[in-house]
Amino acid sequence: MRVITVFIVTLSGLAILSGYFLTDLFPVLAEVQTQILNVAITLAGVAMLVGIFNLVSVHTDKVRRSQKGGVYSALLVISLLITLVLGIILRPGHVAMQAVVNGIIIPTESALMGILTISLLYAAIRLLRRRVDVMSIIFLLTAAIILFGSATLPFGDIPLLGDFARWWSQVWALGGMRGILIGVGLGALTTGLRVLFGADRPYGGS
Amino acid sequence: MANVIKCPVCGENNPSDLEFCQVCQARLQPLTGNLKGEDKPLTPGQIPTEKTTADLEPVLPKWLRDTRSSARQTPEDDAAKTPQTTGSKFSGSDLLAGLNSQAQDDEEDTPDWLANITGETPKPRKPKTESSDVRWVELGNTKDFAQSQPEPEPEMPPWLAGMNRQTPQADDKDELTDWLRDADASRKSQEAAQPFALDDTPAFEAAGETPDWLRSIVADGGAGFNDSVNTADEAFTSSDTPDWLRALDAEITSPKNSAASKDSDILPAFSETPDWLRAMDAENAAPKTSVPLNTPDTLPDLSDTPDWLRAMDAENAALKDSVPSSSSDTPDWLRAMDSEIPASKASLPSDNSNMPDWLSAMDSKVTPSIPGAPIDSSDLSSWQPVMDGQDKTQSTDPSAFSGYGLEEMDAVFSSAVDTPDWLKGLEAGTSSSDQDWLKSLQPAEGEQPVQDSTPAWLKADDLAPVEKDMQEQPTAEENPDQDIPGWLKASALGSSIFAEPPAVQEAPVPTPSFSDTPERLNTAKPVNASVSQPSPDTDSLFTEMPDWLSIVDESAAPESMSAPITSVDAIAPGDLPTWVQAMRPVDAGNPQSFTSGDKTLEAHGALAGLPGVLPAGSVFSPTSKPKAYSIKLQASEEQQAHAALLEQILAAETAPVPLDSFSVIGTSRVLRWFLFFMFFIILPTVLSMRTQIFPLPSSLLVPLEFGGALHAAQSVPEGAPVLVVFDYEPARAGEIEAAAGPMFDQMILLRHPRMTFISTSETGAVLAERFISSGFLAGHHYQSGVQYLNLGYLPGGQMGIRAFAENPSETARYTVPQSSNLVDFAPTLAWSLPPLEGVTSLSQFAALILITDDADSARAWIEQTASARKTVPLVAVSSAQTAPMIQPYYASQQIAGLVSGLYGGALFEQNNSGRPGTARAFWDAYSIGMLLAMVFILGGGLLNLALGLRDRGAAREAK
Amino acid sequence: MLISADLINLVTGLISFLFTLLIFSYVLGDNPLFRIAVYIFVGVSAGYIAAVTWWQVIMPRLVYPLMSAIASGNMLDLGLMLALLFAAFLLLTKASPHLSGMGRIVVAFLVGVGAAVTLAGALIGTLIPQVLGTINAFDMTFVSGKDIGYFIEAISNSVIILVGTVLTLSYFHFGARPKADGSMRRLGLIEALAWGGRIFIGIALGAVFAGVYAAALTALIERISSLINFILELLGKFQ
Repeated sequence: MRVITVFIVTLSGLAILSGYFLTDLFPVLAEVQTQILNVAITLAGVAMLVGIFNLVSVHTDKVRRSQKGGVYSALLVISLLITLVLGIILRPGHVAMQAVVNGIIIPTESALMGILTISLLYAAIRLLRRRVDVMSIIFLLTAAIILFGSATLPFGDIPLLGDFARWWSQVWALGGMRGILIGVGLGALTTGLRVLFGADRPYGGS
Repeated sequence: MANVIKCPVCGENNPSDLEFCQVCQARLQPLTGNLKGEDKPLTPGQIPTEKTTADLEPVLPKWLRDTRSSARQTPEDDAAKTPQTTGSKFSGSDLLAGLNSQAQDDEEDTPDWLANITGETPKPRKPKTESSDVRWVELGNTKDFAQSQPEPEPEMPPWLAGMNRQTPQADDKDELTDWLRDADASRKSQEAAQPFALDDTPAFEAAGETPDWLRSIVADGGAGFNDSVNTADEAFTSSDTPDWLRALDAEITSPKNSAASKDSDILPAFSETPDWLRAMDAENAAPKTSVPLNTPDTLPDLSDTPDWLRAMDAENAALKDSVPSSSSDTPDWLRAMDSEIPASKASLPSDNSNMPDWLSAMDSKVTPSIPGAPIDSSDLSSWQPVMDGQDKTQSTDPSAFSGYGLEEMDAVFSSAVDTPDWLKGLEAGTSSSDQDWLKSLQPAEGEQPVQDSTPAWLKADDLAPVEKDMQEQPTAEENPDQDIPGWLKASALGSSIFAEPPAVQEAPVPTPSFSDTPERLNTAKPVNASVSQPSPDTDSLFTEMPDWLSIVDESAAPESMSAPITSVDAIAPGDLPTWVQAMRPVDAGNPQSFTSGDKTLEAHGALAGLPGVLPAGSVFSPTSKPKAYSIKLQASEEQQAHAALLEQILAAETAPVPLDSFSVIGTSRVLRWFLFFMFFIILPTVLSMRTQIFPLPSSLLVPLEFGGALHAAQSVPEGAPVLVVFDYEPARAGEIEAAAGPMFDQMILLRHPRMTFISTSETGAVLAERFISSGFLAGHHYQSGVQYLNLGYLPGGQMGIRAFAENPSETARYTVPQSSNLVDFAPTLAWSLPPLEGVTSLSQFAALILITDDADSARAWIEQTASARKTVPLVAVSSAQTAPMIQPYYASQQIAGLVSGLYGGALFEQNNSGRPGTARAFWDAYSIGMLLAMVFILGGGLLNLALGLRDRGAAREAK
Repeated sequence: MLISADLINLVTGLISFLFTLLIFSYVLGDNPLFRIAVYIFVGVSAGYIAAVTWWQVIMPRLVYPLMSAIASGNMLDLGLMLALLFAAFLLLTKASPHLSGMGRIVVAFLVGVGAAVTLAGALIGTLIPQVLGTINAFDMTFVSGKDIGYFIEAISNSVIILVGTVLTLSYFHFGARPKADGSMRRLGLIEALAWGGRIFIGIALGAVFAGVYAAALTALIERISSLINFILELLGKFQ
């Protein structure tokens, strides 16, 4: 099984890669790549259902076992089923479904995000209580500078600090962020190669 | 001889007149005494003439003469004292004369072992207490060994400490116990066939209790020895018995009707015999062969007979001839033994079952002497202490006798050049002035008290042969000649050197089989040999003395010492017998020859061929009973402290090291509530008041990325298709809508683009609908399928993006179902609708606007569409949290512009012809929130920094 | 029965208000109301996602093509669609612990395709462009003809960006060699560069933090604003 899965991974990966780099020589590879990608995105959509099924089964099991928090799980399952049924029947673009999104999903997520404001500020204030080093100090100073540069005073823009904040974020922060991006790209590159060569088998190949 | 004598032990120089080292108290002057002897070998029946070794006085070295003279003073002064009362008096001509003087002169400095020699009761020693949980290596049972074993004084080696023991303890074992037990067992099996019984002592009843007889040997102070004669006799016949002992047994059981000795024939068989033994044998061979042996003893295997035993046999024979010698010539120690025998006979254990036959035979005649009585170890064979492992008082460490023997060895060595008196006496064995001890050895007729006081083993050993030959001795009835082991004869014949050269080889003595014999037995040497034949290692020589002989000797020592030998005869050095000359040590009087490490190969005399034969006392190699080592680690306190330290180090290495972190700082509920009230009071107030105190950011100093986004939005051709990607979560809907709204408002207002929405987020489609149909964009009345088209959810993440970028019409073929008819399942093809009219690829869009709050999503769209969109500008409208991640793509010109967060929306509103927007409504609250955050971060950060430093300082002080 | 838009908006506003308050109650601490809101939100979101997946993935990518293939009688398309359905079925078996092994091949296919796309995208979309961008930052053609101050500013910014990039990359260099004492240490030069990289990373993360805070603050403001608007709207309706 492992050989088969590694073979499939390598084969599919090479097909996709050839669609990236060899389309000028072999235009058909672009079409092959597209077909493979379409199959893949279809299966990825199906995989979304697998996740949802798993969520339902877990919380249903908690309700059946009357575990602690089973009531909340029941609420989750009920709301899920109701939304699913309504979504399948009414379709996602229906006004009712939009009301569900606008009435439940967006407010809840936004409220959670709003609470994050307090938590972030609280953490920033207490950071130097726990850890004092160059990185922490620079971290807080940068945050303060950019926050200050992103706001205005009642009498207008802050003359020098605003420019300094923009320069600080667009030059100094850019250097670090570019390094991070390149690092992420290198990590993605090596990880992809390891997967394609079968060194890493996140698909469960033993 | 130099005026300075170098101590053989410590190497310090001492004046030549000193007898003991000033530093280490080691003897410097060798002990010597008058010798009695004859240079000519005695013939059977010949009465040795008495000679006084004092005749050799003139030829002695000066230091030896001084020593002897000083040693003679005290015995001469105390000559009238009885040996029992003095117990430490030595005759001037006695072998141990020097010891007495030293004991008197410097009693305090006298080592215990020396005091023991002199007959003094040694100082009591503290028994060495040992933990009860100590396990003994050899036999494992702590009870097998006397836990109260006395601890030697620090300055005295253990083997000397044993000299001080006066109280025998009989419950010890040694490694010999096993093989002796085996030997006893074999003896038991052969008991029925044993043809001879040394005496009327009943046979062993419990042969398996072999150690007992050994124990009794010591415990009884010699009685046990006597009792165990038979046991040892048979024990040596065991298969595990060393050859020479086995041969001994064979000798005993065999009829003693052998002819004359065949030592001359035996010599070639002595390949394994040490040279010194061989030399002795060679010296003895002549008299043996020259004298017809009357003894019926045969030598079944002379090759197994040790030379020294054979030599002693020969000397025994000589003693037989000297039996008539008066009892005054008998050594004191023998006389003491005689006197002790009757007294201790009554206390003899009746149960001799554990005794070897030969010991039993002796037991009937030799009663135990006074316990702890000093024993002349010079008369003891060295292997016996090993056997006598039970003795903790006198023979716990048989090597203790080596010190004793060392003194005698010194005497021998010192007298090697000039024949000492005692050799003279030996030579004068036929004279009427035999030593006293010889008298005791020769129970005179009609002197029954003397006979009664004579130890049985002496009777059996020395007298029986004589009786056998001469058929005159009354003791012969009790000690048939054939029942006496040869080795016993030899052991008793420490006097062999004092007597005439043996004319009769009475008892065949087995030669030790050095290959089969245990090491200690291999190295075992008869005391006679130790006296007459200087051993290469004097310590080991005397160490190997048997305990039982030592005990006897110790018990006899007082008497022997109390009977001064009147050495009036002297012989010239040239009159020494050849065998004595052969035994004469070379340079024996030079103490420097004892220096340790002296491995000079002796070329002459009895020591010929032996390297380092005269080692110093420091070169001591115990060969007797090994100590019982405890398997428990014997570590000093310092060692234990070091071990504990090492343990701590190891524990510190393996112990988990706590992270250098500070104690958990509890959440500050006050701060949290303060922040909550600050934000939930100020912000709602500002929002509810709809204030516009804080102006929007100036549009004059806009960031470059914003300028690019503005330019791209304004550059969209009229009615051109624009692809809009809604990749943000509902949580950021408020921010994104505030940021992107002004741009879309301006773009729709100015260019009326046909927009196509797509999303890689499941909620993207509904957010797109919300975006375009709510807020101030709703005023544009964009209709789905007419001005805009929602392609919906694009699954697969980067895969979907790549597929869509390469072939959008194939990847997203249908639009989101727009029909309100619930039973209408027919899909709607998107690419035929007006918003996508004329568009078949990504590059055909006028612009690609990416609205995202996720850096990964932004990166995916940027990466995967780079090749497909070609020159199509990509403008990113992102959340403020994603902007720093997208910024590098703008710097690398992969995107045309960036509008981030509410700040970007406010900027766009500034450039949107003053149209109202969400940014303006939020800006005051936003600015207040940002300023509050900056103030709290800086102020609170500094405060917490100070608190943190204080806590760290306190923590360091606490540590 | 038709539901008016106002009623829908009212109900939606009311639900939104209610859920917002429930979530804000978390400021007081974890409480059942907050949990109820969160669990319902999760259920609704999952249900909505499932519905979206059904209508926007399953239906257009599996059902419609299959029906089209059946209708057209194209056996190749039918076979491909059946194979795709079978693969989808195998993938669904991952939901069952007992049958999860059946979907391994499908997952392997997805992983292979995804790895290749990520690899290629990172290479041609990030690595090469970002490296080129760092190099091109020293291209001073756009400041030609301008004041020397522009040039100095441009070159200084380019140097800072270059240094920041290099130092940050050095920080992510984790190659080390064992020392004599067994500890693993990076080379001294790398260690020094990494220390400088920490500064740039601190700056970058500080900027991200400020952005996150700004986004969260905006979300909070939006929520508070929505609450106020709903109350005002509600009050306006009753006035």
